[in-house]
Amino acid sequence: MSERARTHSPLAQVDDVQLEVVDISRLKPVGQRAALGSYIHQLWHRRHFITADSRARAFAGNRDTLLGRFWLVGKPVLDGLTYFLIFGVLLGTARGIDNYIGFLLIGVFLFSFTSASLNGGAGVMAGGKNLIRAFSFPRASIPLALALRQAISMFPVVIAMLVMIVVIPPHAKITWLWALFPVVFLLQVCLNSGIILYTARLTSALPDLRLVIGFASRFWMYGSGVMYSIDKFVTHPQLLAVLEFNPAFCVLEISRDLLLYGTMPDLKLWLTLGAWAIVTPVLGFLYFWQGEEEYGRE
Amino acid sequence: MSDLHTDALSTDSIGFDDEEHDITLPSDADAGPKKGIEVPLGPPTVMVQRLSVHYRVASKEREGEHLGLLQRAARKIGWNRTVTVRAVDNISFVARAGESIGVVGHNGSGKSTLLRVMAGLETPTSGRVLASSTPSFLGVNAALMPELSGMENVRIGLLAMGLKPKEVKEAIPDVLELAGIGSSIHLPMKTYSSGMGARLRFAISAAARPEILLIDEALATGDAATKARSEARMAEIRQHAGTIFLVSHAAQVVEEMCTRAIWLHQGEMVLDGPAYETARAYRWWAWNIAKGETQKAEGLLEDARAKLRATVVHPQDSSTVRHLSRHSNAT
Repeated sequence: MSERARTHSPLAQVDDVQLEVVDISRLKPVGQRAALGSYIHQLWHRRHFITADSRARAFAGNRDTLLGRFWLVGKPVLDGLTYFLIFGVLLGTARGIDNYIGFLLIGVFLFSFTSASLNGGAGVMAGGKNLIRAFSFPRASIPLALALRQAISMFPVVIAMLVMIVVIPPHAKITWLWALFPVVFLLQVCLNSGIILYTARLTSALPDLRLVIGFASRFWMYGSGVMYSIDKFVTHPQLLAVLEFNPAFCVLEISRDLLLYGTMPDLKLWLTLGAWAIVTPVLGFLYFWQGEEEYGRE
Repeated sequence: MSDLHTDALSTDSIGFDDEEHDITLPSDADAGPKKGIEVPLGPPTVMVQRLSVHYRVASKEREGEHLGLLQRAARKIGWNRTVTVRAVDNISFVARAGESIGVVGHNGSGKSTLLRVMAGLETPTSGRVLASSTPSFLGVNAALMPELSGMENVRIGLLAMGLKPKEVKEAIPDVLELAGIGSSIHLPMKTYSSGMGARLRFAISAAARPEILLIDEALATGDAATKARSEARMAEIRQHAGTIFLVSHAAQVVEEMCTRAIWLHQGEMVLDGPAYETARAYRWWAWNIAKGETQKAEGLLEDARAKLRATVVHPQDSSTVRHLSRHSNAT
């Protein structure tokens, strides 16, 4: 105990009080989040954890179903069949759309990727709670592992989609434009990571939002032209401009142009999607990082 | 408004019936009692300063009574009489590297709450906790990722704590030996008993040599060999400038495994001292409570309180040579 502290604290004179002088230069408040730079550094250090976690959970995911991983492809196929019967056959939205089956397949399969992120992000922090409580690591590892897992499990789905649009008549032609499709996919992965980071923090702070998100994702689907062509139904120019700003709409529109119609998509669509793919993950990451201290709390 | 506050719930109304007591009296073994392994002490690793956690909970005490219309309406829309429960009340202490600190006390004495606040899982009402690194917390729930096998849990847990894949490979045999759960390691973790799960999680956490390890009611299970291995590992962590906190209402575990103990009663610190003496004082008190000797137990509690020298924590930052107390002048 330093002499200085003894003279400065009146409590030191009291007999049954034990004065502990603590050098706190090495100590910091528990649970306090790291500065952004060191947070990113720590996250990079945990990259093996992120890949291991995403791989382990991908295999555990469909263990309780009989057909297991078949459902990755099976579910969008069934969804597509439903929309084909209702929108294509009953309501006749197929009129005026070339290769409606291909149009619908691309819409359903690729939109399901983004809506899976929206729904997956909603439960990801609750699912990782045991890990979060037991070990100290940058919490962004958990949503990023989910983003990685969803991207990886999307590969067989995308391949199934490409095979189907080529095999099912009227057959889509494979052109050099197909080479640009991986770029769209990558931009969509970036967009989805941002969405996961946002929903992860929002739903961990307010679990009620999980219910709202199911609604939001349906609303988003109808606004993205998954099963009908938006420009056929929306005539109001301002409303159309708003709908074209929608990143999911851009993904579908660009993919259809590249894969089905063999035309180079509008530059405006590329730029809109590119901007979303950069801004969403960056802001999502900052937003998630600000809540770093909340995730383990009950 | 029917929003009346009552101070700390009296523990008598909660009752201790559901609890496992240390009925066995401390035996005065001649061979010398088993005590925690002593390790040279280092610099402070955890500082807890005037920490309080108060909960406001709805009280249903007056359920049977006749209530006025207004009060009933208030209750219907969720406006209950609330009482403040002082789970942790104004606790200060400093832990140093090399210490193994047991926290003893009856159910509801605030042991687990104290640990959760130290782990950063709960926000204190007032006061603060500073630590040299983020503590690893071993809580009561057993499974990490219930669907995955014990082995996968080990691998992912070690990676989560920042080990590199190569280090993980090297650490695995060690973790398996320490956990001592044999071929069950290949079964999904949800099939484990809580004791097996706790041992595996301890083995995983210990492998990364955490600076601060908080253990809530684990390790009390297992055979003698496993216990000895766990204790040796805890001593090793402490030798590498680590601090261990062990919460248990089985005071014997604290007596045997720790070097220092803190006795909590209704959120307040009763005693803070060498593990053996403190845990014994607590066990003697608990034994009297169990036997219904409340008068005698009260006396013991008073004796213990009288012995406590309250700690006043005085933070000081050597890097800026500045006292952070309001009594001091900044230089």
